[in-house]
Amino acid sequence: MEILRDKPGFTPVVITPAGKLDLPDFKEVWNYRDLLAFLVRRDLKVRFQQTVIGFLWIFLQPIIQMLIFYMILGVFVKIPTDNVPYPVFFLSGSLVFQLFTQIVNSNAYSLLGNVSVIIKSYFPRLVLPLSATISSLVDFLISFAVLLVFLLANHYPITDRYFLLPLLLLITVLFSSGIGLLFGSLMVVFRDTKNLLSYIMIIWMYLTPVMFPMSIVPEELHVYFYFNPLTSLVNAYRWVFLYQGELPGPGDFLISLSVAAVLCFLGLIAFKSMENRIVDVM
Amino acid sequence: MAPVAIKVENVSKKYNLRGGMEGSTISLKEVLNAPFNKLLGRNGHHAAEPFYALHDVSFEIKHGESVGLIGRNGAGKSTLLKILSRITRPSAGRVTLYEHVNSLLEIGTGFNTELSGQENIYLNGSFLGMKVREIRAKYDEIVAFSEIGDFINTPVKYYSSGMFVRLAFSVAVHLTPEALLLDEILAVGDAGFRKKSTEKMKELLGSGATIVLVSHSEDSIKEVCQRIIWLDKGRVKMDGPADVVMKSYLEFINSAK
Repeated sequence: MEILRDKPGFTPVVITPAGKLDLPDFKEVWNYRDLLAFLVRRDLKVRFQQTVIGFLWIFLQPIIQMLIFYMILGVFVKIPTDNVPYPVFFLSGSLVFQLFTQIVNSNAYSLLGNVSVIIKSYFPRLVLPLSATISSLVDFLISFAVLLVFLLANHYPITDRYFLLPLLLLITVLFSSGIGLLFGSLMVVFRDTKNLLSYIMIIWMYLTPVMFPMSIVPEELHVYFYFNPLTSLVNAYRWVFLYQGELPGPGDFLISLSVAAVLCFLGLIAFKSMENRIVDVM
Repeated sequence: MAPVAIKVENVSKKYNLRGGMEGSTISLKEVLNAPFNKLLGRNGHHAAEPFYALHDVSFEIKHGESVGLIGRNGAGKSTLLKILSRITRPSAGRVTLYEHVNSLLEIGTGFNTELSGQENIYLNGSFLGMKVREIRAKYDEIVAFSEIGDFINTPVKYYSSGMFVRLAFSVAVHLTPEALLLDEILAVGDAGFRKKSTEKMKELLGSGATIVLVSHSEDSIKEVCQRIIWLDKGRVKMDGPADVVMKSYLEFINSAK
C-alpha cells in the first residue's frame, strides 16, 4: 500500500481552532472538483427528472413568465418600451434578474440546505455554493438561447457588442454570490431572517427596470434605482442585446467590478466563518 | 516502530450552552431585545455558559493501529471523531494528520433518493473524498458486494431499506484510506450481510490501514481493536491495550449502576 507521507510534497493536515477571518482554501476546492461536477449534475438531474416534460421546462419557464407580463404590461397597459417589442424587452432584463435571484437564493441556502451532509462528512464547503452557482449559469445559458431566438425573430443582429457579455456576466456572478453568501451567513445565525429573503427579492425586482424601462420612472426616483447596482447592469445588458441606451464608461465598469469583487470577498469570509459554526449549532 | 498517523495535542472543545440547549440559534428579535432587557434589569435566561465536550485531550495513534474509543454517552467520543474528521474545529489545541484520513460517520451521506443506485455510488463516493477514477475502478466490486443486482439503475427511492443500507455500506468499505474513522456502523443489514461486513472490516485492518472506531458494542470493539482510549467527561480516563481498558471500563460501568 502506498503511503501518502512518503510521497514528495506531502504536507500533514493540521487542524487548529478556527480563526476569525479566514478565506476558503481554493486549492482544496480544486482537489474536490469531481464532487463539484457531481453536485452540478445532481442539481440539474433531480430538477428535471421529476417533471413530466423534464428538460423542456427550463425553456418554457422564461417564456411563460414573459407571456404573463406581456399580457398585463404590453397588451393591457401598453407600457412604452422605447420602441422595443415588449417580449424582447422583458426577456433581455429578466434573463439578468433571474440569474441574480437564482444565485442569491441557492448560495444563501447552500449551508442550511445541506446540513445533513455537512455534519457527517468532510469536504471543502465552498463546493456547495459553487455548484449552485454553476447550475444557475446553466439555466442562464438556456434562457440566453431563448432570448437569442426572440432577438433574431425581431431582426436584432448579433453584433460585436456581445464581446462585452463575459465581463457583464462576471460582475453579475460576483455581485450575486456575494449577496447570497452574506445572506446565507445571516440565516445561519438568525434563523428568522429566512422569511425576509423572499420579500427582499420581490421588492428588488420592482426596483430594477426589468418589466418597465427607466424612461417611465419619474426623474426624482432615479436616484433610488441607480443606487441598486442591478439597474446599471440590466441597462448594460440591454445596450448589448437591443442596441439602445448608452454604455457606461470604463471607469464605471471598474467601479462595478471592484464593488462586486469586494462583496464576493466579504461573502466568502462570512461563509467560511459560518461553515465552522454551523456544525456546532446544529 | 511504526510512524505516527494521527497526533492529538491538548485538544479542547467548548460549546456555549444557552438556556440548556446546546448551541441553539438565536433569532434577530432576541438580539434586538437584549439591550432593553438589560436596561430593565431582566436577566435573559439565555446567558451563555461554557461546556467542555473535550478537555485537554492528547494522544498519538501509530500507523496501522486500530483504536477503539469508548465512554458513556456525552463523554466526547463523537465530538473527538468529528474533530479528527475535520467536520468541526477544536476550540483549543491541535490535531495533525500524517495520513490520508477518511471518515465514515454515517452510511449513505449525500444519497439522493431521486437518483439511481449507480449515480448515488458516485455521489456518495465523492462526498467521502474519492476521485471519480477511484470509484470507477471499484464500481463493479461495490455493486457485487451490495447484492443489489439489476436494481442498480433504479432510483433509490424504490429500494427497500435493506437494499439502501447494503449499497451505502458497500460504497463505504470500498474506500481506500490509509486511516479510517468509523462511528458505530458495523451492525448493518441482516445477519448474513453483517457477517460479510465484519469480515470486510478485518480485511481493511489486514491491509495495514489505521482505524479509529467509536462504538457502544463491546463485541465489535474487541473484534477489531488492539487498543482502547476511554473517554470520560471529555478527558482521557485510560489509554492502553484493549482487554485491560475494556475490563476496567466494564467494572466502572457496573459499579456505577
